[in-house]
Parts: sequence; C-alpha cells; structure tokens
Amino acid sequence: MATLYEFASPHAGLSAVNPSLDSTAPDATLVRAAQKGDRSAYGHLYSRYARMVHGILLARVAPHHVEDLVQDVFLHALPKLPSLRDPAYFPGWLAAIARNRATDFYRNAKTDVSLDQDASEDKSASSAALVTPQTSHSSAEAHAALAAIRSLPEAYREPLILRLVEGMTGLEIAQRTGLTHGSVRVNLSRGMQMLRETLSQKVSPATGGEL
Amino acid sequence: MNSKDPTTTPERNDYLWDSSGTPDPEIQRLESQLAEFRHDNRPLVLPETLQATNVRKALVVPLRLAAAAVVLLALGSVAYIAYKSSRPSEPQIAWDCSALSGDPQIGSQTIFRENSSANFRVGQTLTTNANSRAAIRQDDLGEIQVEPNSRVRLEQSGANRKRIRLELGTIHAAIWAPPTEFVVDTPSATAVDLGCAYTLQVNPDGSGTLRTTLGWVGFHLNGRDSFIPAGAMCLTRPGTGPGTPYFEDASPYFREAVFAFDSSDSSSDARARQLTIILEQARAKDALTLWHLLSRTDGSERALVYDRLATLVPPPDGVSRDGMLSLNHQMLDRYWDALGLGRISVWRMWEQSGAPAS
Repeated sequence: MATLYEFASPHAGLSAVNPSLDSTAPDATLVRAAQKGDRSAYGHLYSRYARMVHGILLARVAPHHVEDLVQDVFLHALPKLPSLRDPAYFPGWLAAIARNRATDFYRNAKTDVSLDQDASEDKSASSAALVTPQTSHSSAEAHAALAAIRSLPEAYREPLILRLVEGMTGLEIAQRTGLTHGSVRVNLSRGMQMLRETLSQKVSPATGGEL
Repeated sequence: MNSKDPTTTPERNDYLWDSSGTPDPEIQRLESQLAEFRHDNRPLVLPETLQATNVRKALVVPLRLAAAAVVLLALGSVAYIAYKSSRPSEPQIAWDCSALSGDPQIGSQTIFRENSSANFRVGQTLTTNANSRAAIRQDDLGEIQVEPNSRVRLEQSGANRKRIRLELGTIHAAIWAPPTEFVVDTPSATAVDLGCAYTLQVNPDGSGTLRTTLGWVGFHLNGRDSFIPAGAMCLTRPGTGPGTPYFEDASPYFREAVFAFDSSDSSSDARARQLTIILEQARAKDALTLWHLLSRTDGSERALVYDRLATLVPPPDGVSRDGMLSLNHQMLDRYWDALGLGRISVWRMWEQSGAPAS
C-alpha cells in the first residue's frame, strides 16, 4: 500500500505535521499554499471545512456513509484545487463538490436507502429507514430527529443540520456556504418552526412516547 | 411577511442563530440528541501520489460501490455513444410539471389537474393560456410557478446547472439549490439565482421586470450586471439590458428619477436633473442604486455619485476615491461587500466558471 499522509483535526495535533504554517492563517493563504502542493495547508483547510462538508453530505446521504464521503470529497477536490483561480471562492467551490459527490453517490449506489424522502411521503417510513434493531432507545430518538429534519424541504435541511448537528453558528453557515445572513436566518427560523411542528406530531419508534 | 413570522422575533431566534440569548430547551435537546451524527474529527488520509486515483477510491469507497460504478460507467458509455448526436453531454434530469389551474401544455401535451404530474424535459416548452397556471419542480433545485399567458422552455438540466428560457409571461421562483446553479434567460437579460426567491416578468416586447423577495439575484447582459437584493426590483429592456436596481420602498421621486435616468440620453439636461433628484432622495439603503450608478456614469457625474455614496455608507478599508472613480474592480467589489447585501465573490465565481456571453 502507498505511504499515507495523515492530516489530523485540531484535536489530533495537526501542527506537528508542518509547524511552519499557522492553522489560523486566512483561507486565501492556505488555499494558495495548498495549490502549490503544500499538503499541511490542505490539512488545515480540511480541519476548517470538514464540518461543513459533513453537514452538506448528511443532509443528503445516510449517516453511515458520510464520514467516508467526507474523505472522498477532499480527495476529489485536491487535484482540482490548482484550477481554482480565486481563493475567495474556495468555500462555495468545496460545498458544490460535496453536493455533487452526494448526487454521484446515489447515482452509483441505487441499492442504498434513499433518505431524501419527499415531504409528502410518509414521515414514519423515513424514520424507520434510519432505525435498526441494534439502535439504542436514545439513538433511535436521534435517528428519528434526523429523519424529521430530512423530511423538511431541502432549503431548510442543510442549514438545520449544519446548526443542530455540526454546531455551526448562523454566521459560520453563511460564510461557509455563500448564502446571505438573511437567507440563512430565514431558512433556520422557518425550518426550525417546521421541525417543531413535525416533531410535535411524531411518535418515537423506540419509546412510543413523544419525541 | 406577516407578524407571526419567526424571523421577525429575533429575540426568540438568538439561540438558534448562534447559541446566545436565552437557551431554547427543545433546540438544546436536539443538539444533544443529534451530536452522535457530528463529524468525528477523523484525520484526512491521502495517498502518496495524488494521481493514484484507484488507490484513493479503494481507501474510501466500498468495493461493491466501486464495482457498481464500473458497471454504471460502462452502461453510461453505451448510452452516451447511442445518444451522442442528439443529446447534451451531461445527463439531463426531467422536471415534474403539474397544473395549478386550467390546462397548461408541454408542447402539444395537455397537463390536466387530475394528473399528478408530467415530465418536463430539456428542449420542451411549457405554455399557459389566460386561464391556466402551472408549477415545475426539480427536487435538487426548487419550484417555479408559471403564471397565465406564459411560455417557458427548459434549456438545460444537468447536475450543476439548470437553465430555462422565459420567453413571455411571469414566473415565481423559489430556489434552494446552491447559488448560481439556476439561470433564467429572457429576451433582454439573464437572471442568475444567488439564493432564494424572486418574480420575473417578460413583456411581449422583450422588456421585463425582476423583483426579489428573498436572497439576491444577478441580472446580466453583455457585461452589464445588476444585483437585486430582497425588496428591490430592476427593469430590463432589449438592447440595453438590466437597468439600475432600486428598493421598492424608496420614495416615488427616487424611483421615478431612476427610471427616467436609465431611459434618458447621456447628454440630456433631463438626465442631470434626474441624477440630482436621485442623490437628494437617496437613503442609506439606496446605496444599492448609487453603487450601480458608478459604472453607468462618468466624469463629474460619477464623482457626484461617489461622494453621495461615501456619505451614506463610508468606504471600507482599502477603497480610495480615485480608485472608485476609475472603476477599480477590486475596490468596487469591496464596496459592494460592505453594503451587506450579499458576497460578490459568489457572482465572480459564476463569471469564472462559465457565464455565457449572453
């Protein structure tokens, strides 16, 4: 097997890989360095954007596939990075790659359970698709909550997952995805309102009680 | 927006926005429950050589999916060769079309209300008469309602770019696809969605109006760009392209002056009078209009516009008067970003990645 380079998250001590690069450097600095082949710079970008990519994928792909696909997105993006003319476009460019990889994933894997259920479909079926016999009660509730988010219109899924699952702030979501603050605020607010209504009607498949 | 809209009660949404303010117990519970799905901070693992595509895929894609991909690729190649001469190179996705009222038509096929939906494919034209309305929807993109007496042609429907042509009539677009994926051509300008909702109208003479209700939209023709944020509108005319955008809640004098200014001859006295009214009536939010006027004026007119703009919205760092009067692109972009109406880098990215020479 080829030698592998690991670019760890901040929690795993990335600075040891290349101490000459500051992990707090602006995106533009990191992107330019990565374009010139600096892998540690790309590792910093990974640390900074992995949550965004993860959230975008989780809004579209079953949870157990997402971590692998996050890796795939960054692997797919690296050889293309030199073609990015303006580093300022990196966030939107990377987000677009993530969305496309999710689309490709379903195109190439028809046997996987699609979680992109239309809002008009039976929401309980969507929940059931996520819950397996091995799932604990608390995890079953978590899966049901995720299924509820994914039953919402697409405009609301991504910002809600980035906020509630990945822990990003509205400002971070706007900066990372290229949407305006106003759009993110509206989508979060209306999405949360719809989520409350959905959850108030939903019964936990594990507990039989209200979620 | 009604008074019960959650977006009008920011105190309730501070916690949702950034975890500040009074904690919302339901959101806290969801955060706790959903934490198990959060990115696990595993390290990124790259193969030694970036060109080792097969090794890379083997590391991250289950073998069964790789095998399936090979089969799909082979099948796709056969299909591509078979249809190469008559179809676009990218797979094109059909849209769902349904009747909202009356009996709209796709080509010669009538869409009846009792039918759940019909496919709307690239190359087809959807037509509504005086009594019919229709909705076209694509799950990855959004929904577009087509008003009576309208004609819409689906030009492109690939994974990354959806394009329709509004030849006549009115559409209401609610778009959830990423910015710049959805494009509408009209006889006098091209509208590029930068997120989220707008109404576009085309008249029989090819002129049109764009009104944005959420997010912002770019309007483009031959290098002439207008950006229309929520609450603003912009007119467009054949040959001229998009006019100067303005907020609809501006004073009537201001709006009439902008319209007259766009319509006037560049050397007329009337034009100078209209510009005076625009500058006098402009509020801080009308910096939107003044920013656009910079590139639609020259000489002393541009200096007047800039000076008024600078009093309403102070120039950001790195922007000079001389630079703005010479239409330095970087400074113009920086000033636009300072208006807080949307990040212009999204638009520049679209220009880089394939803006048509419309």
